Amino acid sequence: MNFFRRQVPLLITLITGIVFAAQYYVPHPASEQMLTSVTKWLQIIGGFALVLGVSSLFHVHAVKIRRKEVGWGYSFVLYVGMLGTIAVGLWSNGKEAIDGTMTAFGWVYNFMMVPLQGTMFAILAFFIASAAYRSFRARSREAAVLLIAAVIVMMGRVPLGEYLIPISGDLSQWILNVLNASVRRAILIGVSLGTVALSIKIIFGMERSYLGGGKE
Amino acid sequence: MTFTERMLKIDRRIIFLVIGLCTLLPLLYPVGLPIKISPEVRGVYDHIESLPEGSVFLLSLDFDPASKPELHPQAISLLRHAFRKNLRVIAMTLWVSGTGMADQVVTQVAREMGKDSGKDYVFLGWSPGGTAVIINMGQDLYGAFPADYSGKPTKGLSVLQGVASLRDVNYAVSLGAGNPGVEAWYVFGKDKYKFELGGGCTGVMAPGLYPLLRSGQINGLIGGLRGAAEYEILIDQKGKAVAGMDAQSATHLAIIVLVIMCNLFYFSSRNRARQQGG
Repeated sequence: MNFFRRQVPLLITLITGIVFAAQYYVPHPASEQMLTSVTKWLQIIGGFALVLGVSSLFHVHAVKIRRKEVGWGYSFVLYVGMLGTIAVGLWSNGKEAIDGTMTAFGWVYNFMMVPLQGTMFAILAFFIASAAYRSFRARSREAAVLLIAAVIVMMGRVPLGEYLIPISGDLSQWILNVLNASVRRAILIGVSLGTVALSIKIIFGMERSYLGGGKE
Repeated sequence: MTFTERMLKIDRRIIFLVIGLCTLLPLLYPVGLPIKISPEVRGVYDHIESLPEGSVFLLSLDFDPASKPELHPQAISLLRHAFRKNLRVIAMTLWVSGTGMADQVVTQVAREMGKDSGKDYVFLGWSPGGTAVIINMGQDLYGAFPADYSGKPTKGLSVLQGVASLRDVNYAVSLGAGNPGVEAWYVFGKDKYKFELGGGCTGVMAPGLYPLLRSGQINGLIGGLRGAAEYEILIDQKGKAVAGMDAQSATHLAIIVLVIMCNLFYFSSRNRARQQGG
């Protein structure tokens, strides 16, 4: 059993890892055809992952409701919302509108999901303002530099800021284009090198945590 | 408790009220301050402007309703510009929760510009797989989307004539609110299938995409509501983004004033504590 649990997945990872890393550099039609087939599999697996995610969510919240854990009422609301949306979606054949007429599914989408998500995002502005007032203090030199840069960028990104301090627009552009881009690039290069190192470790079986920590 | 200490612990509902008023009042009484066009937004505009009639323009609306206020005006402006230039528009989304909204915006602008589905544009909808969809489209567009969002087979649509994969796309723009978004379109799309790419994103995401812009991996970037407002001015059709800029101006200024005030109170209370201690 250990052979199927450990050796076979490691072998599959090794072969597919090497083959698909090499595939990028081989423009031969056979190589391209292989990529086409595999990406179709990926799309199909993506569909299954969605089903898996939904069923997992149902399971987690069913347990909460059954055990009457703290906040189980929210889980109940989630259940009603999800089951209701699925039922309405199936009834409407997954369409938000048919021949220009809004279906029940379209109504749920347009008048419940869109405003709810929009509200959640809009509330952020209030919390950010409150958090900025409470915590954005020049406690050290580094914090002072961050504070000054933030004020310049905030001024330079809106017409009123550019009107009051005309140079703020150009200064903001310089901060974004030079300081920000160079630091971000350094972080990106670091992250990318880390990803390459981790991929190599996974391909050659040095990193095996993805196999799970079950007993051998 | 001293005045400065009281001010440092101000009730957050007062801050909420200030922000609320700074958003509401400019929307009711707009000022209309001039908006300067940035080179990154002009990059996207100029590229679309340079495309000959009938070129293939792909717009991926990779956002959900949460980012609608910032990215919806960008989508409207880009679609208006593309339709005005008589480009063949392929619209799609990589975010399942944004599908209905994307369909609405594409249909609405197409109707406004007198364009027909299947002939002048197509909305492909959403397909599972995230970034795998981009690779799949790069290999075979019809394999990734055998039918459009309305269920019509994509093969044979006149808008897709001569388009077999992403290699046949002249210009693609991803309006992304996260992952998959602009970066995914570069890594899995442009890098391999060699089409020109532009980006649009929310304001908070924009600084993270500047390295792609500076290196030429994307040829332009529309950042947040400000970017959308600049694009509306470029195509000479002012809309919700320009209308929202006064509110954004006032809110930014309010936050700056609040931050300066909090620092003044902070230093004042720290100095007093030092004097009392010394």
